[in-house]
Amino acid sequence: MLLELRGVSRRFGGLLAVADLSMTVARGAIHGLIGPNGAGKSTVFNLITGVMPLTAGEVFFKGERTSGLRPSAICRRGIARTFQATTLFREYTVLQNVLVGAHLVAAPGLAPALFWSGTYRERERRAHAWGEALLESLGLGSVAGQVAGQLPHRDQKALALAMALATGAELVILDEPMAGLAAQEKAETTRVLRRLREQGITVLLVEHDMKAVMGVCDTVTVLDHGVRIAEGTPREIQTNPAVIEAYLGAEEPGA
Amino acid sequence: MEPRRDAGVPAAGVVLVALAAAALPVVTRDSYYLDVATTILMNLTLTMSFRLQVSTGQINMAHISFMGIGAYASALLVTRAGLSFWATLWIGALAAALLAVPIGSVALRVSGPYYFLITFAFSEVVRLIFNNFFEGLFGGPSGLVGIPKPGRLLGLAFDGKLELYGLMAVLCVGVVLALVRLDSSRFGLTASAVRQADLLAETLGVDVFRYKLTTFVLGSFVAGLAGVFFAHFRQVLHSSDFGLEPMVLLVVFTVIGGTGSVWGPVVGTILMTIAAELLRELHHYEILVFGAVLILTMLFAPEGLVALPSTARRLLRRLRGRATAPAGVGLAP
Repeated sequence: MLLELRGVSRRFGGLLAVADLSMTVARGAIHGLIGPNGAGKSTVFNLITGVMPLTAGEVFFKGERTSGLRPSAICRRGIARTFQATTLFREYTVLQNVLVGAHLVAAPGLAPALFWSGTYRERERRAHAWGEALLESLGLGSVAGQVAGQLPHRDQKALALAMALATGAELVILDEPMAGLAAQEKAETTRVLRRLREQGITVLLVEHDMKAVMGVCDTVTVLDHGVRIAEGTPREIQTNPAVIEAYLGAEEPGA
Repeated sequence: MEPRRDAGVPAAGVVLVALAAAALPVVTRDSYYLDVATTILMNLTLTMSFRLQVSTGQINMAHISFMGIGAYASALLVTRAGLSFWATLWIGALAAALLAVPIGSVALRVSGPYYFLITFAFSEVVRLIFNNFFEGLFGGPSGLVGIPKPGRLLGLAFDGKLELYGLMAVLCVGVVLALVRLDSSRFGLTASAVRQADLLAETLGVDVFRYKLTTFVLGSFVAGLAGVFFAHFRQVLHSSDFGLEPMVLLVVFTVIGGTGSVWGPVVGTILMTIAAELLRELHHYEILVFGAVLILTMLFAPEGLVALPSTARRLLRRLRGRATAPAGVGLAP
């Protein structure tokens, strides 16, 4: 078990956004988290990555407790994420964005940065080469020198994923990686996610495109009003009465 | 926005600054011009270190106080304890850096306007202590007087205008070199990322607090260094030297040049220190002129003077786009 949530809750004033949620993410899986708007999916991501404190419960990653740690410390343990509203270092080039993500892999330190020792320069060269290879593998090789803020939406999404991967994370948490993409671009993202799984990287994702979720995920967890109402394979989820009930009035899963 | 340049390019700029500094005594040895030039270099170490903190998103309104801490520490250690300036130069800077650790640790718990206010409050506390407390030590409102010139080192007597200028030039070029290197290094890349999107940086594993504290302490060290020089250059210290007005000038100098590049403070400081000299007769009204200049810069060159070429190019491109495209479309990014 790579990630485990035990009785996790989050309260915003009078609203219980996440209520006593327990779930596990298996190593090497593509795990989907779905639910109607306001179900608490993004909040769950914020709780796992330390962006928000938990009201109750615990999170374990590789058997170690990560709840209570700061986001940077959680990332150092091997969890990286993207945001729903794609966030980038807009003034930086695509490659520089990835290099910031690679911060953990090539930790800078103050003294080497000041004195530019041979090992520092060598490490920088390797980081550059590695960053370029990573961009190439995600189809961003040709825009490596462009300013991130001016990229088309599709490339911004891909770059956000590249930055998360650059941290060397074992678990990447993607908040709506397909939002706003055209059908062909969604298919490309699906291919990338499958390739990550082959490389042994675990993916936890929130996504509204049911067809994409059902097509790519090994396991799906369904949230409604902060409560887990179902979990299983895509096939099991699509026929689960509780899930269909929750989605009534919205779109039906698999529709 | 121009993409950041990678390492290598800035070296030429540092050489240029060093050459310009070395060339001045060849052109003139007039004591007034040397004074102005020394002030430019002193201000430059301050604005460069201030920008280092700005690069991580901090507007540290107490930066001038750390200059004051270095200045008073050195002045007292030399006049009361009989230490040599060459020792107190580093002790004063270290004192500023050491005090910056607890102050920064508290102030950096908050950000944005709260950080601005906390550091401003701290700077007022420091100024009031220098002015109203321990009068026997700090000299109270009449100031701390009788601070000696640096004295001898390596057979050179550092008491003339030329020697003091030379000393400040060496310190300043050293600081510029270090900060330019730092800025174009991986450390600078991550530091600026913190300013652009701190939550994103944090979730990518960057310890945002540690980055901010490191730049806070390092900047305070440099400010302390400038302060020590200031004390033995002017030979008299007043609490108002480290009050709100010089702090505002420090912000204006840095912002006018632009904080996006290390060369912003260089351009801003040189131009504005000279402007301050020309406006000297206005006395306290000069701050009005600087305020107006700041407003104009914010309106027409928000990224500072050094970014003017790229700002102008972008404006031109936008205007041209508007001329050819149907109305309203040209403004799209």
